[in-house]
Amino acid sequence: MASSVSSQQDKVLVEANSSARIITLNRPKQLNAQSFQMIYRLLELFLVYEEDPIVKLVILKGKGRAFSVGGDVAALVRDMRADDWRVGANFFSQVFKLIYLIATYSKPQVSILNGIVMGGGAGISVHGRFRVATENTTFAMPEVDLGLFPDVAASYFLSRLPGFFGEYVGLTGSRLDGAEMLACGLATHFVPSAKLPMLEAALCNADSSDPVIISSIIDQYSEKPSLKEQSVYNRLDVIDGCFSQRTVEEIISALEREDVHHMDSWISATIQKLKKSSPTSLKIFLRSIREGRLQGVGQCLVREYRMVSHVLKGELSKDFFEGCRAILLDKDKNPNWEPSKLEMIDEGRVECYFSKVKHEEWEDLKLPIRVKFELPPYVIAKL
Amino acid sequence: MDRAFQRTQILTNHLLRSSPPPSPLSSNACLSYSPPELSENHAFDVKEMRKLIDGHDVEERDWLFGLMRQSKLFNPRVRGGKVFVSPDYNHSMEQQREMTWKRIEYFLERGVFKGWLTEEGEEIEMRKFAGFEVSSVYDHSLFTKLGVHFFLWGGAIKFLGTKHHHEKWLRDSENYLIKGCFAMTELGHGSNVRGVETITTYDSNTGEFVINTPCESAQKYWIGGAANHATHTVLFSQLYVNGSNQGVHAFIVQIRDADGNICPNIRIADCGHKIGLNGVDNGRIWFDNVRVPRENLLNSVADVSPDGKYLSSIENPDQRFAAFMAPLTVGRVNIACTSVYQSKVALAIAIRYALTRRAFSLKPNEPEVLLLDYPSHQGRLIPLVAKTYAMSFAANYLKMLYVKRTPDSNKTIHIVSSSFKATFTWNNMQILQECREACGGQGLKTENRVGHLKGEYDVQSTFEGDNNILMQQVSKALFSEYMAAQKRNKAFKGLGLEHMNKPCPVIPSQLTSSTLRCSQFQMDALCLRERDLLNRLVADVSKCKSEGESTQQAFLMCYQLAEDLSRAFSDRAMFQTFIEAEANLPAGSLKDVLGTLRSLYALICLEDVSYVRYGYLSVENGASVRQEITEICSELRPHALALITSFGIPDAFLSPIAFNWIEANSWSSV
Repeated sequence: MASSVSSQQDKVLVEANSSARIITLNRPKQLNAQSFQMIYRLLELFLVYEEDPIVKLVILKGKGRAFSVGGDVAALVRDMRADDWRVGANFFSQVFKLIYLIATYSKPQVSILNGIVMGGGAGISVHGRFRVATENTTFAMPEVDLGLFPDVAASYFLSRLPGFFGEYVGLTGSRLDGAEMLACGLATHFVPSAKLPMLEAALCNADSSDPVIISSIIDQYSEKPSLKEQSVYNRLDVIDGCFSQRTVEEIISALEREDVHHMDSWISATIQKLKKSSPTSLKIFLRSIREGRLQGVGQCLVREYRMVSHVLKGELSKDFFEGCRAILLDKDKNPNWEPSKLEMIDEGRVECYFSKVKHEEWEDLKLPIRVKFELPPYVIAKL
Repeated sequence: MDRAFQRTQILTNHLLRSSPPPSPLSSNACLSYSPPELSENHAFDVKEMRKLIDGHDVEERDWLFGLMRQSKLFNPRVRGGKVFVSPDYNHSMEQQREMTWKRIEYFLERGVFKGWLTEEGEEIEMRKFAGFEVSSVYDHSLFTKLGVHFFLWGGAIKFLGTKHHHEKWLRDSENYLIKGCFAMTELGHGSNVRGVETITTYDSNTGEFVINTPCESAQKYWIGGAANHATHTVLFSQLYVNGSNQGVHAFIVQIRDADGNICPNIRIADCGHKIGLNGVDNGRIWFDNVRVPRENLLNSVADVSPDGKYLSSIENPDQRFAAFMAPLTVGRVNIACTSVYQSKVALAIAIRYALTRRAFSLKPNEPEVLLLDYPSHQGRLIPLVAKTYAMSFAANYLKMLYVKRTPDSNKTIHIVSSSFKATFTWNNMQILQECREACGGQGLKTENRVGHLKGEYDVQSTFEGDNNILMQQVSKALFSEYMAAQKRNKAFKGLGLEHMNKPCPVIPSQLTSSTLRCSQFQMDALCLRERDLLNRLVADVSKCKSEGESTQQAFLMCYQLAEDLSRAFSDRAMFQTFIEAEANLPAGSLKDVLGTLRSLYALICLEDVSYVRYGYLSVENGASVRQEITEICSELRPHALALITSFGIPDAFLSPIAFNWIEANSWSSV
């Protein structure tokens, strides 16, 4: 047991440089997919650093070509026998607690997103104060492909992107590059990867928790990348018009109307993408982001924890297992969703995902209490 | 001298509170904002509570809130790290009108109005009410422009028109190809619609109606939408056929072409700047021999044949006139319901502020006291929260009454909607004023909303039925019920008056706390007042009549009793809806807190001066009521945040003082 813990500890590396702590996710072959132990270790580190008056800044990065592709879902599904969904629920509850801690952290966190950022990878970075994208960054929230839904308080941060871009990103799982992340606000800075070592060194010398000072340091290495001509971010008008509609069905018909007018391959591809995803996932995510837009980050996590518990429990739908089978395990990329059509899922069915789970040992997510620390205004604003 | 020393001590303490010695620019030097959500607990499920008091269409509401939250058109501003949406009231009147119109177009493009005029049924009607309530939370001008178009113009066509009007106008109106307004009020005639002076005569030679404004007092006045945007209006006018006056009728008249040019023989002028609602283009209209085809008479009530014969299915002109007033009923329901949401906005802001703002220390060296920890502050705000809960349940009852209407329920709807519209809008103004004062100077800033809302919503007490006149109608209706029951020697049935058939309730001479919190006692106390006032009104009117006065004159002379009676009716009817909402809940924390709120609401009703004026409560009992109110307020204090969070108003629709007001006002935010 002891040796396995220590080998797990290698998956999260720590460097202590003066007042900064650099945490490196070190599981490059799995694209830094987050195991339970890694989550636990991160929780532990963040808690310790917050208490430690010497630590003023936390830098989070990933080894290899990914920052992190998110929770290690493949392992989770393998481990989770059908009758023990609570193992999975427990994993998510730890992830969500970590995210709440990060989102309400009293010290600034700089995440260096020099590679792939997906799902839970976004969860441990986007909620922090600074997110540095590079030319290597690829961001996506692809949970609907797996029969899951964008969680990790995505209903908080996606809903706060301009217009209805968040609905687009979450419903289509569309990929964004560093320039797009910066444009929509998912990233706070864009630094060419060649300058990252210098940036890190400068941050380690900062010896400050003042976000204004940290920001100005990152600014010195930052560039203003221009969006590619075919960037989806140039299509905000269409995205706003269509993805603001009441229901998933209405979103698709709005896109179809646009398609008739414009004969545009991007629109057709978007429609195809929506039609291939789990109908249940689409519907519960849309409801989730719409509620999340009007809620604090804690409320978002509590709601998402209910949702994810229902998904794992598998009584309402087994799409998550089917999606993991088709994408991660069998890799036939041909999931059979059940229910298979949007119109087969009525409001009552969607509503069930937002209710408490009826199980004697299940309870709502208990968020860490945050009164102890003086929270900065940008954190208070998220409550 | 001692006091001055104490103050200095307190101030010094504040400056030195944080342990590391503060640098001159450190934000921790003195007071810091402590978010109430971190220290206050929710003892009940606020989501369930919101569902209960919103009553319906919670998802639709959140969608609409989200639509506004995400669009630049709704003037988002970041204050204290949070986004707030609210119109820029520093815009000129013309700019405000333009923005209101752009917001409507945005809703239209998003499909918000889908089915609002072309679909039938309870579901769409409730969804429409939800849409209005949510729009009103953003801005009263937005609400009013929509209300005029959909409820007044659209409603008039629906209720007063027949099949071909519906086919011709409703779909185009829903899509805003036509922008409607509602020309009823004149300079010389407001509430007394039967007295309007606009004249329409039928010309059987051409098969047209000819409309004229015969004098200046006949100009149409306050017509929302007329000054800038409306293309058509429903016109209310005296109808003359073959020289004889058939009373007030409604006609469709085009007033602008599709390009916005005013039509020939129509003159339009602006009503000018107002104390609020400047995003609505209220206008005045004069008609100079305007001709419209015969089909433009909205003819569900009465028609004119091509050769000029007047035909009506309703013989009695009083009933005919009442039928013409049908579109106003739904408007009143809508106004009543939306006024409750303004109270929610104001209370959510004032209570959140009171949970974060401190003033005065009780002892030297102690931190200053939170405003809401002062019993006096609790006494100002918490009863208003109870009142707002009562109004929410009553509003939900009223909406259901309306959407489930039958020909038999029309009278009830008229009376209840009149009573609730007047009561809620008056309550709302009282609540806004109290909340504005409870926020101190911050309440004065437009961006903090509470003060500004007073100007925006004041008009609710007079439009679509002057509150005083509506309340007179309520007491008149109760009077008629009494007379009818007496004449036919029948029991009272309807309007909740069944309690009149039972023995008169007796108030115990000593009121204990448990009696005061007993719903039966509370109901008895409210019924007793209503019953006695109705008896008194009947007696006084009869006395006046026996002295030779006409019924009308007798009523005028008994106006004070009539006012008290209508308020008694309203309080009792609202209370009944509260009891029902509570009864429908399973035992649990939600029901418990509602029970306490219900008691508080009942007891503040018992503080009405009529209880002392007519002796329903002894002086001692009056004191017991007062003491119990204080006690309940302190019991509800721990629930304050949860109670106002349950109002379901998203943060972005509240205001900077409801959140981190220190950061919002910091130098770095300037």
